[in-house]
Amino acid sequence: MTLDLLQVAAIAVGYTGLLFLVAWFAGRRRDAGKSIVNNPLVYALSIAIYCSSWTFYGSVGKAATSGIDFLMIYLGPTLTAFSWHFILQRMIRISKESNVSSIADFISLRYGKSQPLGTLVTLIATLGIMPYIALQIKAVSTSFALVSGVTSRTIALPGAAEPVALPTGLVLAIILSVFGVIFGARRLSSIDRHEGLIAAVAFESLVKLISLLGVGIFITWGLFNGFSDIFEQFQARFPEQFIRLMTLDTQPGNGSIPSVTMLLMSMGAIMLLPRQFHVMVIENADIGHVKTAMWLFPAYLFLINLFIMPIALGGVLLTGSSVGADFFVISLPLMANNNSIALLAFLGGLSAAAGMVMVESVAISTMLLNHLFMPIIVRITPKQWFPLLLINLKRFGIFLVVFMGYLYYRLVGDSFMLVNMGLISFSAAMQFLPALLGGIYWKRGNKSGAISGMSLGFILWAYTLLIPSLFATPELHSFLQNGPFAITLLKPTALFGLIGMDMWSHSLFWSMLFNTGAYLICSLLLPQSEREKEQVHRFIGSFEQEARAYRAAAKRLSKPVTIPQFTALLGKFIGEAEAKRALENYQKERRLAPDNAGDEFELPGLKRFVERTLAGSVGAAAAGAIVDSYLSDMGSRMESVYDIFSTVRTSLDQSREALFVRLKASEIMNRTLDLQTICDDLLQLLLKEFKLDAGLIQLRKNSDFPLEVISYQGTNRRPITPEHWYRESEPYFKKAMIDQRAHLVNDIKLADGVVEIAKTRAEGFVSFAHVPIFREGEESLGVLSVYSKNIVGLFTEEFISLLTSLTGQLAQAARLMGEMEAREAARRKMQQAQLDKARLMRDMEIAQQIQLSLLPENPPEIFGIELAGRCIAATHVGGDYYDFFKRDEQTIDLLIADVSGHSVGAALIMAEVRTLLRAQANQATSPSLILSSLNNQLYEDLSRAELFITMFYARYNAATGRLSYANAGHNRPLIHRPGETSCRELDAEGLILGIKQNVVFEEQVIALQAGDVIFFHTDGIPEAMTAQGELYGTERMCRHLAEIGHEPAGRIADSFYTQVQQFSGTEALQDDVSMVVLKILT
Amino acid sequence: MIWRSTRHRLLKRLQLRESWIIFFIMGNVMINFPFLKIFNQPISILGFPLLFLYFTVGWAASIGVIYLFTQATESDQQTVEEQPPQ
Repeated sequence: MTLDLLQVAAIAVGYTGLLFLVAWFAGRRRDAGKSIVNNPLVYALSIAIYCSSWTFYGSVGKAATSGIDFLMIYLGPTLTAFSWHFILQRMIRISKESNVSSIADFISLRYGKSQPLGTLVTLIATLGIMPYIALQIKAVSTSFALVSGVTSRTIALPGAAEPVALPTGLVLAIILSVFGVIFGARRLSSIDRHEGLIAAVAFESLVKLISLLGVGIFITWGLFNGFSDIFEQFQARFPEQFIRLMTLDTQPGNGSIPSVTMLLMSMGAIMLLPRQFHVMVIENADIGHVKTAMWLFPAYLFLINLFIMPIALGGVLLTGSSVGADFFVISLPLMANNNSIALLAFLGGLSAAAGMVMVESVAISTMLLNHLFMPIIVRITPKQWFPLLLINLKRFGIFLVVFMGYLYYRLVGDSFMLVNMGLISFSAAMQFLPALLGGIYWKRGNKSGAISGMSLGFILWAYTLLIPSLFATPELHSFLQNGPFAITLLKPTALFGLIGMDMWSHSLFWSMLFNTGAYLICSLLLPQSEREKEQVHRFIGSFEQEARAYRAAAKRLSKPVTIPQFTALLGKFIGEAEAKRALENYQKERRLAPDNAGDEFELPGLKRFVERTLAGSVGAAAAGAIVDSYLSDMGSRMESVYDIFSTVRTSLDQSREALFVRLKASEIMNRTLDLQTICDDLLQLLLKEFKLDAGLIQLRKNSDFPLEVISYQGTNRRPITPEHWYRESEPYFKKAMIDQRAHLVNDIKLADGVVEIAKTRAEGFVSFAHVPIFREGEESLGVLSVYSKNIVGLFTEEFISLLTSLTGQLAQAARLMGEMEAREAARRKMQQAQLDKARLMRDMEIAQQIQLSLLPENPPEIFGIELAGRCIAATHVGGDYYDFFKRDEQTIDLLIADVSGHSVGAALIMAEVRTLLRAQANQATSPSLILSSLNNQLYEDLSRAELFITMFYARYNAATGRLSYANAGHNRPLIHRPGETSCRELDAEGLILGIKQNVVFEEQVIALQAGDVIFFHTDGIPEAMTAQGELYGTERMCRHLAEIGHEPAGRIADSFYTQVQQFSGTEALQDDVSMVVLKILT
Repeated sequence: MIWRSTRHRLLKRLQLRESWIIFFIMGNVMINFPFLKIFNQPISILGFPLLFLYFTVGWAASIGVIYLFTQATESDQQTVEEQPPQ
């Protein structure tokens, strides 16, 4: 049974309306900023455009005739999905960066924006896709015929007087073309993504999946009892066929296509078919979606193929044979009288076909426009009607693609199964593989390789597959049978005597062999052009670095082009409004003022942007040609601005010259620390390497000092006077130093006139630059100025950045020098101080020696007594003093004194005391008188020096055994008498010397006995201190004296010294220790 | 808990770029001769032809593997992009 024609047509129209609604909705959402297409699910579904009518109808046919190997077409893409993580993501990244518009664009871009290559790819794609489109037309028109019952290719229009003969295939072709135009070529845009198209495609993918699953479930569980039921029934009824279908054919040469061939072709096709490249790469909204699609798309394939086998086997079971198996999906529900399922199947098939044709034709028409029409159009000067022409050419391209498919269908249509037709296209798409894969992974792959490989592959494909496929019954044609001119070796299906292979494997083998071989050989033998190298870097190098490198574009426009001019040019291709919007966005992005096109460093970037935008509509190669021809019409061109950087490249690598200069400069800076030499050498280097004519380096110590010319190099040097021409640039110096940016004049004719530079002009300079010398974050130290007489536009961004980096190093060197000088001065100062100190120490040592020599070497010998004196100074010189004066054989004077402080002053006073005492040694006065006269003599000196003296003066007469004494505030001596435990202290009233004049000292007398030990000492002994702050004290002195009183005087003195040292616990004394021991023997 | 740590460790291992290539090659080997010959026999298991079963199960499994991979790369964004060939 069939459905009513009108009903089917109405449903088809309704469904089309729904598609439009989806596309319209997607467009609206995008405008609202909430894109539904920017979604990994939609992305995966759009890739499912891979499943065309081939899957929908053809797989069943394939499964019913040759068995399970139909799966290979889907297993291949699943495997390829493993590689998307690196290959696809890389392709997307490159494409987004260069606004690639198609696979032809991509390949031609990689090989130096080669126009011929783009044309070749377009040609292969256009011809190669014919069988594939034909497949869709055949599938849909046949299914339409099945559903609606219109078997002849005529339609009886209701209401017309007689049936109008209208080929359904033709009608379908027209409808599909219109679809393509509406969804893909309504307007030319700067962004070549079609959100509406993708939304419709994703929706269709959903419909075809649901539809096929619906049919599958209906057949498997509606007409049979599940999977195993179908398999078992089939095995029972057709055991032989079961074995054939359920295993892979391993016997070569029986005409069937080996599974490996299909696997290989499908693995390539998923990436290489123009529509696949379009949805996966061009229409990709977000690179992160790839990750989801990697498993979601294979899962989609898995689901859509799940019921293919049951439908195929069920169909054979129900119809009794595999005839017409291609359309089991529709014919089985119809047989079972289930119209709604049949209609669902029809809609699914329609979706599959329409989606594929739409995207394929749009993708290829873009290629046709960009690579076939454009090369011709760019020769014409842009006119106002250009956008109209372009969009219509694109529409024409869509019709062309579809109608070529239709033509192929009319020629071949009925002689092939759907799948086998599709494989012809797959084989054509495979020709892109070597150039594409080599392009993104092999640095040496070059244009000649790509062109020769691809054209050889294409020729062989056409010769061995396309041409044979055109002859429906090959047996009848002598050309196919015997080869051209009866040369059997050239027989298209058995080239060079290769027989026993099916047509597809045979063609794939030969075409790929020649393609890959030529690609490799030519790439290895022939060199790459400069343009290609640039692209290789972009395709294979790392992307982030590349993005930065654009800024340093090393070219400039010889005649500046304004933004309005660019807008006008762009408008001619993509419409004025669109062009305005694009450029405004660009300016906003780069934060340029609307009229700021004068900056010549911005222009190359702007030009690149215009090219990229154009590339979105017309392809990279054509875009480049358009902009270049436009500029040349204007009399402007991209010129390699400076001869100096001769290998100009838009890449991060610096030109060799720049590197050389950097190297030399760092050599100069490292060789010496002399700033003068560094400056001279650096200027000479710059002048020589960049053919400059004069150079100046001015520096200042800091901001308080004026600039000073450190170095001045050049051909015609003038003495530096206030009238010197360089002085004119003073405002530039100041400006450069203040805002720490280079200030330059690239053409003196265009100098703004604010600064008067008549003398500089008269000298013949045409361009100059002033670069501040400063370290990051510090104030400027000076200016480097360079002048050229020959080259206008010498100072490019790259050159300035080189100079800036050199001045940075120079600042470093200058700063370093300053620091070095300061450090040297400090070092010298310190050395001097050390020297002085050493000298002082030496003096002090001498002073000590002298001071020690002032003390009596040996005590005088008097019968009946024993004497010992010790003085140990804490520092080099001290203020302690003791002395003996022998008056006669029985009488001896002894004294001990302490001058306050341990300074040299104290030592000197001590010497003075000694001199004074010695002078009166012979006068027979008493101790008290001696002290008071001493006080009077010393008073002035002492009060001037702010010093005091304590002194104990005693006189002993051995005959009487009496000791008379006077004390000037000194520590009281101790007397130990044998048999007594305690000590006596000798005391007498008296003021410290140097406090006041005319002091009267009390004189005391004491009678001494044999065995008495009198211990004179300075405060160093009782005031010796432990680390804990405990004083030695008189108590301890007394006890110790009692212990060792029986010893000789010398021993007593030494033992005290040791005792004090042990007590304080340190080697170093805190104070001078002096003592005199008087021991009465008889 | 054990499951989580195992899963985490598994994902960590899968981040290696080499594993992509290994699985890609393994997949190729598994759907080609002579490996395929093992399953290329007219036998039915539980009513399903052996080869059909092999393809269906193997396919589903490989989709699972890809899924795990994508999870692994998502768990650590730093290792996402391959290094450019030197």
